[in-house]
Amino acid sequence: MNNPNLCSICGKPAAVRLSNPERRLCAEHFIKDAEERVFEAIDAAEMIREGDRVLVGLSGGKDSTALILILSEYVKTRPDVKLIAVTIDEGIAEYREDTIKAAERLVEHTGVEHGIISFTELFGDTLDRLVADRKNLACSICGVLRRRSLTEAARRFDADSIATGHNLDDEAQSVLMNMLRGDKPSLIQDSSLGYTGYFVPRIKPLAVLSEKEIVTYIMLKGFYTPLPECPYAVTALRMEARKIIGTLEERYPGTKLNIVRFRDGIRKHVPYSPKGTKGKLNTCKICGELTSGEICQVCRVLNRKQSDE
Amino acid sequence: MKIILPDRKTIEEEREPAVIKDILESLGINPASVIVAKNGNIVPDDVILENADELKIISFAHGG
Repeated sequence: MNNPNLCSICGKPAAVRLSNPERRLCAEHFIKDAEERVFEAIDAAEMIREGDRVLVGLSGGKDSTALILILSEYVKTRPDVKLIAVTIDEGIAEYREDTIKAAERLVEHTGVEHGIISFTELFGDTLDRLVADRKNLACSICGVLRRRSLTEAARRFDADSIATGHNLDDEAQSVLMNMLRGDKPSLIQDSSLGYTGYFVPRIKPLAVLSEKEIVTYIMLKGFYTPLPECPYAVTALRMEARKIIGTLEERYPGTKLNIVRFRDGIRKHVPYSPKGTKGKLNTCKICGELTSGEICQVCRVLNRKQSDE
Repeated sequence: MKIILPDRKTIEEEREPAVIKDILESLGINPASVIVAKNGNIVPDDVILENADELKIISFAHGG
């Protein structure tokens, strides 16, 4: 280290070193820097419009912890905006109980209205039981059901948008995974736009912060709690993508951001329609929700038959 | 020098002063996947660790 480890702004001992522009920041100034970057991203992309009711997906894990803390700061300057936190209880034994407690502590601290929606209530059973005989598919099944749960929550709370805690690492990994799978529709699909009259826009305010910055932020704010890992977290391809991008980022700082910007550049040149629909949507023949085909993904993963409903 | 690993195991040994990043790499840990605290305070990984210091390595590479 050639320079003393002091905050570039106030000269106190630095907690982090950031690049582009190169700077060292103490705890206080890093917190401010991270929040301001998120605020700027929200405003630049007009993620939150005047008078919006924003549903915040609050699992209680590290990303959603940062999300609710930062959005709570953001709405102090936007009193027209209302936050509603919702926790999806998938029914995963020895995992979700702890994170729900963490979520409850956070809403108590921030004063944000909070609701909990469970898979049992929406789909008739816990994830543990729904995937008991197909645990290898648990992550993808859970993803489908969680997306539907958030849509249902947005309906219940009359939300204009759904904010999730996806960070820069998640986004860069998804780009690489979509490329490796040859999944062009997922690469170009931009859910932040919503689809007027059909889908509520999904916004990702934390996509400008790396996972490391997010964990540093919640540690410095005093909200870091080591929580158990989801027992179904075995997404091999994402782990590979994480490793590859992590190594590249170490050698070539800015790689993650460049990957995400590259994707955003492509999206600007491709007309948007919800994945696979070519602009046309149907209602599911079983549950009546919107779908690009005849039967929606939820009914398919739940093996629902037409007579079930 | 006392080093607390992500799994909470502790290494205590005499060491020459070294840059934290080099210590992490010598332990086979990718610096990008951890946060480090020197004597209880979070610091960048290019800070030097002296023999009398304690280093805590916190891994965050799972779960959202």
